[in-house]
Amino acid sequence: MQSIQTLPRWRRVLQSNWLYLAVLVFLIVFPHLVGWITGDSPFGVGGRPRGQSVFWQSVFIEVFILTILTMSYNLIFGFTGVISFGHALFFGLGGYILGLVLQMTDLGPEIGLVVGGIIGIVICGLLGFLMGLVSLRLRGVYFAIFTLAIAEMFFIYIGRWPLTNAEDGFALNNIPELLNSTRNRLAYYYLALMLVVLTFLFIRRLINSPTGKVLLAIRENENRAQAIGYNTLTFKLVAITLAGMMAAGAGMLHVILNKKVGPETLGLTYTVDPLLMTIIGGVGTHAGPIIGTAGLHLSERVFNREFVIGSTTINIGQNWSLILGIVFIVVVLVFPQGVVGTWVRWRRRRRAARAPTESGRSG
Amino acid sequence: MQRTRGTYMLILTLTVGLLVFSFVTSAGDLGSFGTTLLSGLFLGALYFLVASGLSIIFGLMDILNFAQGAYFMIGAYVTYSLFHMDALKGIDVNLRFPLGVLAGTIIGGLLGAVLERGLLRPLYARPIFQLVLTFGVAIVFGEALKAIWGTEGYGWSTVTSFGIHQSQFEIFGRQFGSYRLFVVAVGVALIVLIGLLLQRTRIGIIIRAGVEDSEMVEALGINVRAVFTMVFTLGCAVAAFGGAIAAPFLGANLGMGNAFLLPAIAVVVLGGLGSYMGTAIGSFMVGLAVAVIARFASEFLNQTVWASITPMLLLILILLLRPSGLFGKESR
Repeated sequence: MQSIQTLPRWRRVLQSNWLYLAVLVFLIVFPHLVGWITGDSPFGVGGRPRGQSVFWQSVFIEVFILTILTMSYNLIFGFTGVISFGHALFFGLGGYILGLVLQMTDLGPEIGLVVGGIIGIVICGLLGFLMGLVSLRLRGVYFAIFTLAIAEMFFIYIGRWPLTNAEDGFALNNIPELLNSTRNRLAYYYLALMLVVLTFLFIRRLINSPTGKVLLAIRENENRAQAIGYNTLTFKLVAITLAGMMAAGAGMLHVILNKKVGPETLGLTYTVDPLLMTIIGGVGTHAGPIIGTAGLHLSERVFNREFVIGSTTINIGQNWSLILGIVFIVVVLVFPQGVVGTWVRWRRRRRAARAPTESGRSG
Repeated sequence: MQRTRGTYMLILTLTVGLLVFSFVTSAGDLGSFGTTLLSGLFLGALYFLVASGLSIIFGLMDILNFAQGAYFMIGAYVTYSLFHMDALKGIDVNLRFPLGVLAGTIIGGLLGAVLERGLLRPLYARPIFQLVLTFGVAIVFGEALKAIWGTEGYGWSTVTSFGIHQSQFEIFGRQFGSYRLFVVAVGVALIVLIGLLLQRTRIGIIIRAGVEDSEMVEALGINVRAVFTMVFTLGCAVAAFGGAIAAPFLGANLGMGNAFLLPAIAVVVLGGLGSYMGTAIGSFMVGLAVAVIARFASEFLNQTVWASITPMLLLILILLLRPSGLFGKESR
C-alpha cells in the first residue's frame, strides 16, 4: 500500500474522509430513496406535505438542527473542557429574537429574516461573551452555576412575558416562501443539511487551527496552558461566543421549521439533550455529536409508541427521558469516551495487538 | 479580623436595608410587613436545609451536587404519600406525620449514600464528569418521580399533627399560620444542631479539617472516603428532611426541585463556598430578599414573575460584585 503522504491532495482528503462523504451522499439522496421505495414523492403528495418521504425529511431536519446544537455544545464542553448548563438559552433566545423581528416589525419576510438572523446571532454571541467574562475567571463550577441561573431566569421570565404570549408562545407566519417548511420541505431539508456540513467543517477547521490547539490544551490542563503564556480566558471566551452563535442559528432553524416560537425552546430539555448527545456520542470528537444526536433522536422516534409484550402494554415514549437519563449515567460511568471514543480506543488496542504478528509474518 | 468585621457590617447593612425597604413600602401596615418577614424567614429556613448539605459537600469533596434539589423533592413526595396513604390511615394523625417525615429523611439519606458510593466514587479522578453526573441524577430523579406520581402536583389535606397546620396566631392585628413559624423554628434548631456537630464532635473536627485540606486529613490516617460517604448521606438526608417538613405547606410537585436548588446555590455562593456560618446567614438573607422583592413586585409592579427570578438575579449580582462570597476563602 502506498504511503498516505505521497498521494495527491484530493486522494488524501478522500481517503481520510470517505466515511463522512458516504454519509453525506446518503443523506443527499435519502429523500429520493425513500420516495422511490415507498412510491411517495419527496415533494409531497398532491401539492401537500404528505407521504413517507416528507415525513422522514422532517424527522431528519430535526436531527440536523439538534446536530448543530450538539456540535456547538461539544465545542465548549468537549474541546475546551468548560461545562455549561444553560445552552438552551442561546437556542431559545435565537429563535425568540428572529421570531420577534419577523412578527413585530414591518421589514417583510426576506429582510426581516436577514436582519433578525444577524441580530439574534450577534446578541447570543454577545451574551455568551458577557456570561463568560463574568464567570470564566472563577473556578469552573461557577460557569456551570452562572449559565444554569441565567438560562432558568430567561426561561421563567419569557414563559410569563405578555409580549410573547407567555407560555403559549406565538406563531410565525411571516417567513419567506422559500423557507416555508410546509410547501418547500425538501429545500429546507437541503438547507439544514448544508448548515450541518458548514458547522462541521468550521469546527473541524477551528480545532485544527492554532486557536483550536490552545482550546485543547485548556481542556487537558488549564494551568499548564496558562504557564506557557496563553491568556486562557480569551480563548475560552472565543469558544463560548462561537458556540452561542451556532446554538442561536440552530434555534432559528427550529422556529422556522415549526413556525412557532415558544418558551419550551428555552427549557432544560435543550440543555440536557446536547449534553447527553455529546457524552453518549463521544466527548471531544468530531463524529460524536452526529452519532449521538442521530442515534438518540431516531431511537426516540422508533420507541415512542406502545409495545405489547405478552399481556402487558409498555409505553416507552412516556418514560423516554427516564431511560435516557439512566443510559446517560451508565455511559458516564462505564464509557466516558462515548461511542466514538470507545470505538477508537478499541480499534487502536486491536491494531496494537495485531501489529507484532503482522511484522513477524512479513519480515 | 478587619475583614470579618467588615463582613458583619455588610451583612447588618444589607439585612437592615431590606427590612427598612420592606417596612417603608408596606406603608405603615404592620400586618403586611409581618407577613413578608415571616415568609422570608420561612423560605430562609428551607433554603438552609437544602444549602447546608450543598455547602459542606462542596467544601469537603469539591462536588457541587446539582441533585440536591431532587432530594428535597423526594422528601416532600415520600412524606406526602405516606401521610395520605389509605393503608396507613389507621395510625393516629399525631404519629403519622412524624413517621412520614422520618421515612422521607431516611429514604433521602439512603439515596444519597447510593449516589456517593455507587456513582460518584469511581469519578473522583474526573471532577467535570462528577458535575455532569449529579446533573444527570437530578434529571433521573425528577423523571422517576414523574413516572411514579404523575405530572400533577399534590396539595396537602388540611389535617396535620398536633394541629400545627390549622392553628393561627395573631400579631399586628393579622392572622398568621403557625406552621410557618414551626418550620422556622425547626430550621433554627437544625442550624444549631449541625453547628454543634461540626464544632464539638470528633467527626465534626474531621469534616472541618477535610474542608481545609482533605489530603492532609487522609495523610493523618483517617479514612476520608468513609467521611465523604457519611457527609453526603447526611447532606442529602437534611435536604430530604427540608422537603418533608415543607410538604404540609407547599405540597409536592415537580417544580420544587429547581425552585429550591437555585436559591440554595445562591445561598452557598453568597455565604462563600464551603463556609457553614456563611450558609446559615446567607440562607436567611436570601430568604428575606426573595420575600421582600416578591411582595414589592407583586404589589407595586404587578409582576409576580419577579418572585421566581429573584434568586437568579441575586446569584448574578453576587457573582458580579463579590464572587468569593461573605466568608469565602478565595474564589479562583
